[in-house]
Amino acid sequence: MTAAIQLNQVCFGYSSQRPILAGIDLNVGVGSFLAVAGPNGAGKSTLIQLMAGILRPQSGSVLLDGRNLYSYGVRDLARKIAVVRQEFLPAFGFSVYETVLMARTPNYSQWGFESREDREMVAQALKRTDTAKFASRSLDSLSAGERQRVFIARALAQDTPILLLDEPTSFLDIRQQTAIYDLLKSIQQESGSTIVAVTHDINLALQYCDEALLLCPCRREGPDLTNPTCSAHYRTGPTHEVFAPEEIRRAFRVGIFSGTLGSERFILPLGKRAKDANLLPPGDVEK
Amino acid sequence: MHPPLTPRILLLRTSLAAALLAAVLLSSAMVGPQPVRLKTALHGPQIHGVPNPHYEILVRVRVPRILLAAMVGAALAASGVIFQALLRNPLADPYILGVSSGAGLGAMLAVIGGVSWTLWGRSPIALFAFIGALGTVWLVWGIGRVTGKYQVTGLLLAGVVVNAFFSAMIMFLISIAKSQQLYATLFWLMGNLTEENWFVLWVGSGCILTGIVALFFLGAPLNIISVGRQDARNIGVPVERVELSAFAISAFITAVAVSLSGLIGFVGLIVPHAVRLVFGPDHRQLLPLSSLGGAMFLVAADTVARIVVAPAQLPVGVVTAMIGGPFFLLLLVAHSKKVYGGT
Repeated sequence: MTAAIQLNQVCFGYSSQRPILAGIDLNVGVGSFLAVAGPNGAGKSTLIQLMAGILRPQSGSVLLDGRNLYSYGVRDLARKIAVVRQEFLPAFGFSVYETVLMARTPNYSQWGFESREDREMVAQALKRTDTAKFASRSLDSLSAGERQRVFIARALAQDTPILLLDEPTSFLDIRQQTAIYDLLKSIQQESGSTIVAVTHDINLALQYCDEALLLCPCRREGPDLTNPTCSAHYRTGPTHEVFAPEEIRRAFRVGIFSGTLGSERFILPLGKRAKDANLLPPGDVEK
Repeated sequence: MHPPLTPRILLLRTSLAAALLAAVLLSSAMVGPQPVRLKTALHGPQIHGVPNPHYEILVRVRVPRILLAAMVGAALAASGVIFQALLRNPLADPYILGVSSGAGLGAMLAVIGGVSWTLWGRSPIALFAFIGALGTVWLVWGIGRVTGKYQVTGLLLAGVVVNAFFSAMIMFLISIAKSQQLYATLFWLMGNLTEENWFVLWVGSGCILTGIVALFFLGAPLNIISVGRQDARNIGVPVERVELSAFAISAFITAVAVSLSGLIGFVGLIVPHAVRLVFGPDHRQLLPLSSLGGAMFLVAADTVARIVVAPAQLPVGVVTAMIGGPFFLLLLVAHSKKVYGGT
C-alpha cells in the first residue's frame, strides 16, 4: 500500500522539557480511513496539525506523496489536504453557502469571483453532506451536527485527496455521530479519499476505520520510554488490533468491559460504580 | 437571508450607491447658510468683470470641504471593515490600534512645540498627526507580533494600552498648554472638517482612493480570514501576506484621513455594521458599499454640522455620533431577526 502521508521518527513538544510526541512512525495508506485516539493531552490534535503543515516537527520528517510536506507552498498543500477543525468561532453571520464557497477562494479569478466550476463543486459538496436545504441559513443558526456537516462540505469543496478531521463528532448526539461517520465512510468509498480522524469514540472507530493510531502518554510529563508498564507510547495497525481491550485499558487507565456482537467488538468504559454493580468477574476491572 | 453574491449584483449595487453618493454630494453643495444658485455659479469666477459670489462659495468653500468629507468618510469606513475582519472583532474600528492617540499626540506636540513653519500653506499639525498615527500603529503591530503570532488578543491589548498611555500624555500636554494653543487642538481632537486647498485635497484623495481600490482585491481572502486564520491557511490563502497588506493599507488611509480631519469617531464602526446588516458579511461587497456609505454618511453629517448652528459650526464628530447612534440602533433592531436566527 502506498502512503499518502508518512511520518518518520517525528518528535514534537511545545516546550523542550515536555515532548508530546516522540519518535512516531506512521504510514497513512492511500484511500485508508485512520482513527487517532488517546487520552486528552496525548497529542492527537498536535499530530493533525503536524500533518496539516501548521506545526513542524522538532525532529523527524513528514512526507506527503513521498515529498517533504513542509516544502509544499500554502496553495499546493491546500490542493492535497483539507482540514476540519474542532473550534468554531461565530463571526459576522456568513451563510452556509458562503462558508462552503470559501473553500474555493484560491481558485477565484483576479476580480475575486468564483467560476461556474467552483459553484458546481460547492453544489455537489452541499448535496453530498445533505446541507443544501439550509444553504441560505446563517451558520450560527444551525445545530452543532448541522454545522459539522457544513464544515465537512467545505472540506469536500476544496476537492482534495486527503481529509483530516479533529474530533468531528464531539458535541454531537449519537444519531448525529453515526451520521457523520456514515458520511465519512461514503466519502472514503466513493472518492477513494484518505481520511484521518481524531476521535474519542472507540466503538465508532472500530466499526468504520480500517487503521488506527493509539497514543498513550504514560506520564503527564510525556511519553516515558523507560517505564516498564508502558511498552510503547503509541501503537499503529489495523483498528481491531490497536483498539484491543487491553490496549485501551492501558492507554486510558480506565476499567473497561468489552464484548462482541456478531463480528463487531464493543468497548464500554467502567467507572468506580461498575465494580459494585457486579457486572464483571472479579479482577477484570483495573484498580 | 441574503442571496449569494454575483458580479452582477455587486456591480448593480455599487453603481446605485455611487449614484446615490453623487446625489448626496450635489444636494449637500446646494445647502448652506448662504443660498447658492448652481446656474449662476457655472458662469465662472467672474461675470462681466464682477466677481461671482456663487462661484466663490461653491468652488472655493463648499466643494473642497464636501469632497474632503467624502474621502475621509470612505477611508474610515473601509478601514473599519478591514480592522473588524482582521481582528475578528465586531467592536473594532480604525482607531483601535492606536491611530487616534498617536495622531493626537503628534498634533499636540506640534502645537505645544510652537511649530510655526507652514507646509503647502497650512500648519504642519496634519503632518505631525500623520507621522504620529503611522508610528503608533507600527509600534502596536510590532508589540502584537511579539506577544502572540497567532492571536489577536495580544494585538488588541497592545492597542488598548498604547491608546491609554498616549491619551494620558495628551492630557498631560493639555494641562500644561496655553489657552490659545488649546483651542486649536481640542477642535482637532473633536474631529473637524475645514475648507482645504485643492492641492492638499488632490494628494489626500489620491492616497485614499488608491488605498481603497487596492483593498477591494483583498475582499475574497478576507472572507475566510475573518472566519479564522488557520482555516484560511488550510484552504490555501497566503494569510500573512494578505493580513500585512490589509493592515498596512488601512492604517495608511486612516492616518491620511485623521491628519486631514482630526478624530471623527463612529463612521468606521457603524457604517460597516450597517452595510453588513443590510447586505450581508461578504467582504467583496462590504468594502465598496461601506466606502460609498461612509462617504455619504460623513457628507450628510458635515452638512448638518455646517447649518444647524449657522453661522457657527459644530465639530462633525459630534454630529456623526448623535445622528449615527440612534440610526444604527434602529437598523440593528429592524434587522436583528434577519441576521441572528430565524429562517
